[in-house]
Amino acid sequence: MPIAFEHVSHIYNDGTPYRHVALEDVSLELAEGKITAIIGQTGSGKSTLVQHLNALLLPSAGKVLILDRTIEAGSQPKQLKSLRGQVGLVFQFPEYQLFEETVLKDIAFGPKNFGVSEEDAAKKARTAMQMVGLGPEFEERSPLELSGGQKRRVAIAGILAMDPAVLVLDEPTAGLDPQGTEQMMSLFHRLNRESGKTILIVTHDMEQVYRYCDEVVVMEQGKPKLRTDVQTFFHDSSLCRELNILPPALIRMKDMLRENGFTVSDEISDVNGLAKELARQVKRHG
Amino acid sequence: MGNFTLGRYLPLDSPIHRMDPRAKIMGMLLMLIAIFIPSGWIGYGIIFVCAAGTILLAKLQFGFILKSMRPMMIMMIFLFIINCLVIHTGEPLFVIGPVVIYKDAILQTLYIVVRLLLMIMITTCLTATTKPLDMTLGIEDLLKPFEKIHVPAHEIAMLISIALRFIPDLIDETQRIIKAQESRGVDMKEGKMQERIMAILSLIVPLFVSAFQRAEDLANAMEARGYAPGEKRTRYKVLKMAGRDYTLLLCCTAVLAGMIWLSRMS
Ligand SMILES: Nc1ncnc2c1ncn2[C@@H]1O[C@H](COP(=O)(O)OP(=O)(O)OP(=O)(O)O)[C@@H](O)[C@H]1O
Ligand SMILES: [Mg+2]
Repeated sequence: MPIAFEHVSHIYNDGTPYRHVALEDVSLELAEGKITAIIGQTGSGKSTLVQHLNALLLPSAGKVLILDRTIEAGSQPKQLKSLRGQVGLVFQFPEYQLFEETVLKDIAFGPKNFGVSEEDAAKKARTAMQMVGLGPEFEERSPLELSGGQKRRVAIAGILAMDPAVLVLDEPTAGLDPQGTEQMMSLFHRLNRESGKTILIVTHDMEQVYRYCDEVVVMEQGKPKLRTDVQTFFHDSSLCRELNILPPALIRMKDMLRENGFTVSDEISDVNGLAKELARQVKRHG
Repeated sequence: MGNFTLGRYLPLDSPIHRMDPRAKIMGMLLMLIAIFIPSGWIGYGIIFVCAAGTILLAKLQFGFILKSMRPMMIMMIFLFIINCLVIHTGEPLFVIGPVVIYKDAILQTLYIVVRLLLMIMITTCLTATTKPLDMTLGIEDLLKPFEKIHVPAHEIAMLISIALRFIPDLIDETQRIIKAQESRGVDMKEGKMQERIMAILSLIVPLFVSAFQRAEDLANAMEARGYAPGEKRTRYKVLKMAGRDYTLLLCCTAVLAGMIWLSRMS
């Protein structure tokens, strides 16, 4: 089942002086079973776009196809709850949504809302905690007195516990430490590769896009400027530069090497590989 | 819920926008007093015409005002029901089941609705055309004379301006939290009693947490820049009353006097 936008526009505060067109005639299809990165400058409409996927925002014009649902402008869709159970959306700065007395209860809140029994919800919550790297010692703590990074994990676990088929993450790693970022990204990667979940990640971090994602959508002023696979996108740095995006360090390094007369193959996709190749070439000439 | 407009500043350019905030605040107070004088339908008609004229002059749209009324709808319906149940004077008009609706019940509700509408129109004329910062300066100046009796004019003005400044932020925050919880399957609109309580809790708790957080951040930011209450501060912007400001005050006073006269007549 495809995820597609067909001529979708979204206008905030229509009919007031604060009217703002955040999405303009967006037509876009998103790959199923893959990890897609949505990138673009701040204010380009990324968050607005992804909030259409579980019908938190309804299109002002056009329609959104998601799983087996069609959400059309002007209609009042019913039974959004089931859609929201299937499309898990983690908000930008989700730590503000925690409210329960204990971490475990807060994570179990989502599944319980979708009709899972108390015990099963707790079980799902424990599994989700383990996934995001929160030990059992956190279960009974108040989510309000955790650190920012820990809160973020609780919030992400709260969505994972719902076991959605499509997982949408709005800047999930902003403000996490490098280690936490690694952990989260490889978790999403695993969820995609092992459980076949479709994953969409809004991010500003090109290293993440390069290392973990399959597809890229570039948003610019409320429109998708480009949609392509990561390999093509980062084939060399020219496309990135055209779009005013700083390419990942590895790509920049490769480009610089090429400019200086080295031959670097496209296959190389990590620092180790590059270092070995470089050593080989230097030795041969030296 | 979508567009909450009550109390928002609208950055337009109009004669009303350019007026001195002190004149506007005084004018609004005079008009509010005028509304509370029982001057009958003619009086309310006059106030309505004045308020509508000001709204036109300020280039505001009536739709904007009506939108700000929307949150009050439920309250008004509630009020109407209560009035129907308790007021038993005037002619009985019609009967719905066991309840007899009297003329006064409808009149009373109508009075309140009209007053509320007028009040919203007039306060909107002030809040939509005055930058929060100018509003604070105005309030501070108007309270200056009371400093003699130890009214902390500056602090009050600062309090009000901070409160005003936070209203849109808190509304945005509320909407954000609602969305986040809806993503977790909360239904804000329907559900059983217990579910509704959970839904409200899931909104209120994060809202309080973030409000306190914001307050603390702001306090720290102000202190870090050397703000100390009670200390003497100079002003960047000096307010000055012009001819049109005096005209406004004169008109408002005239309306108030007219209302008093009308209420004496009846
Ligand atoms: N609730 C809202 N009301 C009015 N305008 C909004 C609202 N939310 C977003 N906007 C506007 O819509 C535009 C797109 O916002 P959006 O949040 O989708 O951007 P973004 O690409 O996610 O940016 P960022 O990278 O900063 O998160 C912005 O110009 C923003 O000002
Ligand atoms: Mg965003």
